Amino acid sequence: MLRLTIKNLLDKKIRFALTTLAVIVSVASVVGVFVLTDSLRASFSGLAGDIAGGSDLTVRVAQDLGQEFDRPPFDEAFADGIDVVDGVDDVIPGVFSFNDTVIIDDDGEAIRPQGPPTLGFSWDPTTFFIAAGDAPDALGEFATDVSTAADNGLIIGQTYAIDGPTRQEDFRLVGTFRFGSPDEHTSLGQTMAAFELEQAQDFLNRPGQYDAIAVVVEQGEDVATVQAAIQAAVGQELEVVTSEVIEDENAEGFDEFISIFNNILLAFAFIIVFVSTFIINNTFQIVVSQRIRELGLLRAIGATGNQVARSVYFEALLVGLFSTVVGILFGLLLGQGLRGALNSLGFSLPAGPIELQTRTIVWAAAIGVGVTMLSAIVPARRSRTISPIAAIQNDQRLAGASLTRRLWVGGVMTLIGGALLVVGLFVASTTTNVLTNVAIGAVLIFIGVNTLSPSFARPVATALGAPIARLFGTTGEIARGNAARSPRRTASTAGALMIGLALVGMAGVVGSSLTKTFLNTLDNAVEADYFVQSSSGGFDPSVTFAEEIATEIDSLPEFDSVVRYRFAQSSMRIGGVDKDVFAADFDLVERHLDADIITGGLTDADPRGSIALHQDPAEDLGVGVGDTLTATFPDGETDELTVVAVFTDSSIFGNWLVDNDVWEAHFVRTGLAFASATVTGFSDDLPQAEQDALLEQAAAAIAPVAEQFPTIVAESRVEFRQSQQDQLNSFLAVIFVLLALSLVIALIGIANTLALSVFERTREIGLLRAVGMTRRQLRRAIRWEAVIIAVFGAILGLILGVIFGVAAVIAIPDTFISIVSVPYGQLVVYVLIAAIAGILAAILPARRAARLNVLDAISHE
Amino acid sequence: MTDAPPPASAAAAARAEGATKIYGSGDTEVRALDGVDVSFNLGEFTAIMGPSGSGKSTLMHCMAGLDTLTSGEVYIGATPLSVQSEKDLTLLRRDNVGFVFQAFNLIPTLTAMENITLPADLAGRPADAEWVDKVISTVGLTNRITHRPNELSGGQQQRVAVSRALASQPEIIFADEPTGNLDSTTGGEILAFMRSAVDEYGQTIAMVTHDPTAASYADRVIFLVDGKIVDELSDPTPDTVLDMMKSLGD
Repeated sequence: MLRLTIKNLLDKKIRFALTTLAVIVSVASVVGVFVLTDSLRASFSGLAGDIAGGSDLTVRVAQDLGQEFDRPPFDEAFADGIDVVDGVDDVIPGVFSFNDTVIIDDDGEAIRPQGPPTLGFSWDPTTFFIAAGDAPDALGEFATDVSTAADNGLIIGQTYAIDGPTRQEDFRLVGTFRFGSPDEHTSLGQTMAAFELEQAQDFLNRPGQYDAIAVVVEQGEDVATVQAAIQAAVGQELEVVTSEVIEDENAEGFDEFISIFNNILLAFAFIIVFVSTFIINNTFQIVVSQRIRELGLLRAIGATGNQVARSVYFEALLVGLFSTVVGILFGLLLGQGLRGALNSLGFSLPAGPIELQTRTIVWAAAIGVGVTMLSAIVPARRSRTISPIAAIQNDQRLAGASLTRRLWVGGVMTLIGGALLVVGLFVASTTTNVLTNVAIGAVLIFIGVNTLSPSFARPVATALGAPIARLFGTTGEIARGNAARSPRRTASTAGALMIGLALVGMAGVVGSSLTKTFLNTLDNAVEADYFVQSSSGGFDPSVTFAEEIATEIDSLPEFDSVVRYRFAQSSMRIGGVDKDVFAADFDLVERHLDADIITGGLTDADPRGSIALHQDPAEDLGVGVGDTLTATFPDGETDELTVVAVFTDSSIFGNWLVDNDVWEAHFVRTGLAFASATVTGFSDDLPQAEQDALLEQAAAAIAPVAEQFPTIVAESRVEFRQSQQDQLNSFLAVIFVLLALSLVIALIGIANTLALSVFERTREIGLLRAVGMTRRQLRRAIRWEAVIIAVFGAILGLILGVIFGVAAVIAIPDTFISIVSVPYGQLVVYVLIAAIAGILAAILPARRAARLNVLDAISHE
Repeated sequence: MTDAPPPASAAAAARAEGATKIYGSGDTEVRALDGVDVSFNLGEFTAIMGPSGSGKSTLMHCMAGLDTLTSGEVYIGATPLSVQSEKDLTLLRRDNVGFVFQAFNLIPTLTAMENITLPADLAGRPADAEWVDKVISTVGLTNRITHRPNELSGGQQQRVAVSRALASQPEIIFADEPTGNLDSTTGGEILAFMRSAVDEYGQTIAMVTHDPTAASYADRVIFLVDGKIVDELSDPTPDTVLDMMKSLGD
């Protein structure tokens, strides 16, 4: 019996290939994601050690709030106390800056990669190793890492402009260095500029301060003893940590980044697995029904129902094992390919060794074998009931679940799924709860609707086929009849496409609502005429530009006011909770942005002692204008801030807004996230010609600034609106591309089913050809059948997608999305794409059918 | 075969008592079998004849345990079929019944030899190699034994099918139009082989056919019309069978 199964598989190569294809794709996608992230993790963890450097201890300010780059500096006088501690060999004070030191190349372009940071350092001989030239040891000099120099054609001896946290200055490149080790430069794609210590203190805005002091312990001394001694010397204001702690912190930071990355990619991989399960299940169903006579013969000559079912399971096992092995191989390739694809999308992922961990192989086998075996359960159970009579009689059909049972099971699953979705979106409080409920809910709805769909596949397919039947006469009629005659198969074939399009449709609704909300906010809330933002774009709020740029624009007569904006995540503690905080210039901001202030006002408030907040937290905390709030900042200081305004539009400043005075008192970072400006004399009430003239003057005036500082882009309101929209669209495009992968799988599924159906109908096709159907007509009939199935799946999927999308939009906080928008035009395009996918899927099966020899086909058993 | 067979069935490999099979109900009711009593004796070659729709195939399917009766009882050896579970019926078929069909007799992916030993493989026991070799050489398949069905002629395929039925030395072999797809020469070879299996090895065979020549190879012919046995003939020749058919046709 086992031999029979193996022989069968080997014999039916096309069937085997079609069955394994979907499994291989599933396994490969999951393996690819794991391989990519494991490889990244391996490269990153090496990096974490390199960054920790060659010192044994680090002295720094203790920090328990905000981001690492918000850790406050300390007075340089502390270094004197450390030098004299017993057992200390060397003391290397340092300053650094994150994402606000940018070298400008010969062409006047900012060297700023998408994703990886730009870093400014003071020279540290324990982590930087000169590759060419010298270390910077005087004012006006800098060194950069070897890969930045090579990639951008920087030449030692030349002078380059560098944008720092506060201003731009010219420096002479005196050397290039390797980071981490003397032999090999460790790179994540970061850009590094290193300066002599005093120069760094000045340029990186650390007057008389250090960010950290690295300590090398004398050979043979006990590190813990020295650590305690230094701690005693510096007092409680600073902390002394070992290099292991630093390394762990770095690794943790990378790990967090990779985990997010891993989870997002895995989510897409599992969508592919889920979609594939439908296809695999469908394929097994068809394969079993094709073998019904053969299985009947086996039953007649003495195979038990269990033996027949076991042979189906065994076939699944073989398919699963084979696909797992092939899938792992493809997954390794895919991991490499993904890295390349992500790099071309603007990420700079480090190159490194390929990591294939045991965990990955276990997952691959669990998915490859598990999904296949799971998919085989129903077909195997049905094969058990095949009667031996099937061997003798033609036209035996597999017993399927009765329609009533289908309605019950499908209906109940859909309802439970819907309930979970509602709970997830509107009731659940923690993120994990939300995600679990939504994911399980969506999966149940998909399976439920797929179980229900055979009950309406026939009328819907008949209706969809009506225009085709009218247009193509008999050919169209045959296509329509074939799509409608086996509603179960039509429904399960369409199932994979349904899921893909439900996801695309949902993303479409969410994306469109997001864009609408965003543009609406821009149109309603924005009073300023010009906007300045970092030229690297993106959504990273830690990417900033020098404050000097805002000052320079403010000094132009064409502009009459400039507002500076800063932003920090989880960096202000109020009532024990870390809040995101926005900073702006209170005296001007109301003329630039309108956050719908309902009580109070910002313009006349005391900038140093005030705070404004959104209505929701105001209600939660029971505060109003005039009340005080106690806020703690990353420097450990606590302020009593008076509430001066309550606003209702959270899409601009989030929930918490302070003045730049408060920011400058507590945050080490001075770079701006954003700036807005008003054009002198400009008003929307002016005649259009005058408006245009003013904007033209403003553009001309700001152009030299933008040229001098390539780290920024300055845009008028219209340009800004467009660039924001473009940015959002390209972000959405990435998501669509990933979701489109599931469409490719669905396409394989349709091709698969059609190929098997054609095989099954060989005799019928022979008959049609014998009575005069041309090859062309036959191909056309199969093609249109595919289109009907595809459109059926697409429409079903889009209906679900729109429901999911609208639910998601309602559930997402108004800060992000407040307007529900269904992109009907897009949805129509998706249906057309699905139809085209159907045509593509039909190419090979149609060709195969057309090539059949008429006589052979008629006598086909 | 059994230790203490009941006297009535002592010489019967299979028998039916009051076998009735009704399809549909009410206006569409069809009595495919209407109270058939028949016995296939050990070591006897019986042909079942009758016009289309007479119920001959239904009778064979029911007696072989492939289909169930509406009422009445069928015995294979001393075992009544109606009380058997699906699993026991399968095992009974596997161990005690052989089949030869008109078409689609063989698993296309297995070689001739593998097809012949398939029932033994299914039972998970080795085939009786000596016996199988004997059967194969008798049918003259020795040279073709590693070929697949699509590499064999129709007659050769059918010989493989008969060999498979014989290989497990079943109590009875049911053959459904075994020569229906073959030319008369090839068909004659198959029938002669079945005849010799009865004569030399004492195999019991029941065969459904509508060909008087084929029926003439049997020891006995029973005639079925409208689900009832209407007549029977011993030691038939093509002519006597033809005469009988003509008389029934009138």
